[in-house]
Amino acid sequence: MNTIEVNNISKTFGSQIALDQVSFEVKPGEIFGLLGPNGAGKTTCIRIVLDIFKPDNGSVKIFGNGMSEGKKDQIGYLPEERGLYQDINLEECLNYLALLKGLSSSESHKRINEYLVRFNLDEHKKKKVKELSKGMQQKAQLITTLVHDPKLVIIDEPFSALDPVNTQMVKDILREQRDLGKTIVMCTHQMHQVEELCDRLVLINQGKSVLYGALIEVQKTYAGHAIHIRTEDQIPNYLPGMKEIKRLENHHLYQVDLDPEVFPQEFLKSLVAANINIDQFEIASPTLDEIFIQVVTESGMKYE
Amino acid sequence: MNKTWLVIKHEYLKHVKKKRFILAILSLPFFILLMVAIGFLSVIFQYDNTPVGYIDSSGILENSIDYQAEAPIGFMKPIDFIRYTDESEAELALNENNIQAFYVIDENFIETREIKVIANDAPDSSVNSEFYTFFKLNVLKDLPEAISNRLMEGASFEIKSTAEQKSANEDNVLVFILPFLAGFLFIMAVNISAGYLLQAVVEEKENRTMEIMVTSISPTQLMTAKVIGNLSVGLTQLVVWILFGIVGIFSLFRLFPDFQSTKIDFSFLLLTIIVFIPAFVMIAAMMAALGATTTETREAQQIAGIFTIPMVLPYWFMQVLMEKPNSPLSIFFSLFPFTAPISLPMRAAFSSIPAWQIIITITLLILFSIAALWFAGRAFRLGMLRYGKKLSLKEIFTQRP
Repeated sequence: MNTIEVNNISKTFGSQIALDQVSFEVKPGEIFGLLGPNGAGKTTCIRIVLDIFKPDNGSVKIFGNGMSEGKKDQIGYLPEERGLYQDINLEECLNYLALLKGLSSSESHKRINEYLVRFNLDEHKKKKVKELSKGMQQKAQLITTLVHDPKLVIIDEPFSALDPVNTQMVKDILREQRDLGKTIVMCTHQMHQVEELCDRLVLINQGKSVLYGALIEVQKTYAGHAIHIRTEDQIPNYLPGMKEIKRLENHHLYQVDLDPEVFPQEFLKSLVAANINIDQFEIASPTLDEIFIQVVTESGMKYE
Repeated sequence: MNKTWLVIKHEYLKHVKKKRFILAILSLPFFILLMVAIGFLSVIFQYDNTPVGYIDSSGILENSIDYQAEAPIGFMKPIDFIRYTDESEAELALNENNIQAFYVIDENFIETREIKVIANDAPDSSVNSEFYTFFKLNVLKDLPEAISNRLMEGASFEIKSTAEQKSANEDNVLVFILPFLAGFLFIMAVNISAGYLLQAVVEEKENRTMEIMVTSISPTQLMTAKVIGNLSVGLTQLVVWILFGIVGIFSLFRLFPDFQSTKIDFSFLLLTIIVFIPAFVMIAAMMAALGATTTETREAQQIAGIFTIPMVLPYWFMQVLMEKPNSPLSIFFSLFPFTAPISLPMRAAFSSIPAWQIIITITLLILFSIAALWFAGRAFRLGMLRYGKKLSLKEIFTQRP
């Protein structure tokens, strides 16, 4: 049984088409990426999955059938519009939201205190939410998403407004949740942030699904015949098997397109033979950003 | 625990636990008490219980009937009247502060109606009127007692509507006060509760917590809980004020025994309550709808003010409602759902309203409150995730949530 099944959903707001015939499945225990640029329809899609909006057409199954009040307790949702009750203290706010997810009062106190300690929020728990920094509120909100130990975690823009330390912390938590057997849906436009985490993904642009499948497969399909080299030495303009070379960024990083019949190992030999000191040598697999731009350009869509 | 109950409890305690709420609840009785205290104090400070003198040249006060003057507040010493035979004697007493003033009654008072007052500081008007009561009593002393009593007390006017049995006696002050007071309390209750409710719905948007809430409980549960929770806050406030009011009225009865003769008509109270409940729900639901369609508390409060206008409208037409309770305007006011809660009790106090009109009023109110709830539910589902953009009426009626 798939955790989420989305079948051909469409949704319009007034004259604006937000979603057009989108379908995908999320399998139990995976990290699924719902990706696309700003305004692609990701949040609308999530809201339909969560039964906040009704689709104009199509259907959504969650844990095998339609949404029910009971299932809400098994879902942890971190909305893009982050928000907590600003006027009450942090502990009170978290407890209230945890009780609404069906936890008992004692259980909710116990778990929230554990999370507060883990997220370094323990000393702030008596403060009003509005007195906390934005980063702290983000972390507090993550507690709300996870405290009831949901089977399905849906996170909209997980890394917005987080510094690198906290971004890493969130990534660690997501991996940990996957290892616990949770299903995770991440919805973001920061594709480079999730490519190391996602098992499978769907790419949405202007309300339409443009790419869907396992990350590895997608990368294989779109991989060119190229390598990345980092070196401080000058690379000669011609080496055997080299079709084209371009300098990436300003850090002595180069991308070399190879002739189709040349294997990377052979090219490495040529580099060594040319007595070039290599700091880094890797097969260039395309980033999701690159794949996205390629897909969109090929399909003749506009990329906003 | 049931989630609806959790939200009700949260919404209720959130307000009631605040210092601001306790201050708000105590401020009205405190304010009223302060006004009453100031009133009493000003009477106490103004009241001078030094006797007054009089010199009677007309002979009316020869062998005068004794009259015990009334002090403005029960426990204070009433003013004595002292008779002097000539002005120099009275002036001496005035200068020695034995009297605060003396009255000189003209020889031909019956023709000239002149009484001179001689004092260093003009005496309070109540002193003059007490003296005049004493004087009038003596002018009338030769008439038969029954007639003089009638003249002293004045007439009692009874207002009777031509068609029905019902009558209102002007002495029965409560007949006038009750519909007025009930309406006033209603408007207070509506404004307070609706204010809380409006805030509670908009706040959910301002805090961006709506999505978390509706993925924890259903929008219907959330809306129901918010309505019940916040109406309870308003009702708590109202009940506390009514309790203060009852205490106040009882102490008023003790101070002014005149009020004890008044009666409260219970069928009138029942009618008032039956009209108030659906009206209360109707306005509360409209406030919730308003909260769901607007995006900021301040903006919502400004619009909310508009709802108050039709509610207080009947007060401007109070005279028509009381004097012509069965005129077309009065009937219209008591049928129209927004003006009905104030108008119907007001009319009912002065005339018997035909049963069909009461039934239509209540039916209309119930229909309107159901429609308002439906409308609020729709506005809530459509508007709950709109930030920064208002929801238009057209969208509420046509769009799918």
